[in-house]
Amino acid sequence: MTPLGRFLLATLCGLVLAGLVHVATVLAIPYLATGDAFARSRATLANDTSVLVHAAETGGPVEPAEGWLRRQDPAAAVGVCAYDLDDGPVRITAETGPLLETIALHGRNGAYYAITDQAALRGTVELVVMTKRQFDEALATADEDERNRDVRIVAPSREGFVSVRVLAGLPSQQAQANEAARSVSCTIDGPDE
Amino acid sequence: MPTETLVPPPPGRAASRRPLPRLLRRLARPRRLGTVGLVLYALGLGAVLGLASANWATRGRYPFGGVALNAWTAWPKIGSRDADPYVRAIHARTGEIPLALGEGLLLTAITDDAGRRLDPSCRYRIAGATPPARAWTLTVESSRRPKPAPRAGAAPPPRTGFTSTEVLRDRDGRFAVALSPTVQPGNWLPMPAGEGSVRLVLRLYDTPVAASTGVLEREGVPSITREDCP
Repeated sequence: MTPLGRFLLATLCGLVLAGLVHVATVLAIPYLATGDAFARSRATLANDTSVLVHAAETGGPVEPAEGWLRRQDPAAAVGVCAYDLDDGPVRITAETGPLLETIALHGRNGAYYAITDQAALRGTVELVVMTKRQFDEALATADEDERNRDVRIVAPSREGFVSVRVLAGLPSQQAQANEAARSVSCTIDGPDE
Repeated sequence: MPTETLVPPPPGRAASRRPLPRLLRRLARPRRLGTVGLVLYALGLGAVLGLASANWATRGRYPFGGVALNAWTAWPKIGSRDADPYVRAIHARTGEIPLALGEGLLLTAITDDAGRRLDPSCRYRIAGATPPARAWTLTVESSRRPKPAPRAGAAPPPRTGFTSTEVLRDRDGRFAVALSPTVQPGNWLPMPAGEGSVRLVLRLYDTPVAASTGVLEREGVPSITREDCP
């Protein structure tokens, strides 16, 4: 083989290798990332209520929030609350107000469930996140005479986080939006309840 | 063997080699380095190109998966479980919490309706019907990192967006936002200061559009028209 042929072959191999490295890197980034929302939200695991990660910035002084979430809607307050289903199903309770509020459940591979405040019953949105096994147990032990009104969601994996977005339509609603994004409770649903 | 490059080329190939002395020198090197050199070269090329292209593709702008609607691009899949690996990698790097499918829809625009890039020195008019949504916000972003906000006593930071609640509308319920570096009557959205590319972001909250972007095509998205440039 001529030197030119050898060189071209080596270049071709390099390009094929580059393609493989590219695909492998892109696929590996979500598993190696330490700065993604999933990893950052782990810090809130011990909290009973959501943590404000992005404060609404529609007017007046901006409230301090954990600043890792960048490039968000300035009119939306975002709260985050991590869960781990190892300790039992997680109950998420949000008191809705006059502002538009959306709640999304995220696993490692993106959001798997979302609900808005229009689904609220008497001003409260109540969700129970559980694994498939916990769901089956709950069905098996359910009292047949008693109707269960919980919205039960089967999570694809044990770990994940809840994100809450509250939209401040007017500058005067900024504080209210931040308060709403901060006040979603996510507690472990004990067996005694 | 440094003398190898000094060996005169065989007479048959001399004519083709003379106009490319640089290429000849490059070709002479792999022969000297041999197979080990070529393998190292291929490995190096693969690693550098692969990592650089992966870094470039996951910088922050979604490479594909968008639905183009005039100047706007809708991103219906970024918050769902079937988001493509690039979107996932971008979110992992930026820490972004995307709008989930049932929460809303993200639309971005980096050009006007005529296809020209948004210029920070120009005046634009963003007008039209409101997309079907319970609420929406229209914001302008600059590619430059925003400077840290000045502390107490300074002027408040300029407006960066409008919400559907606060935007002024005409009698038919339509709106027109003026995106301009200078003060405008009506809905004035200040153009971010400084050079750098500008991006318009429209977020539709609690919208039926998220399930199928066909609704958006029918109802229309706001138009972006360039009014004048200095």
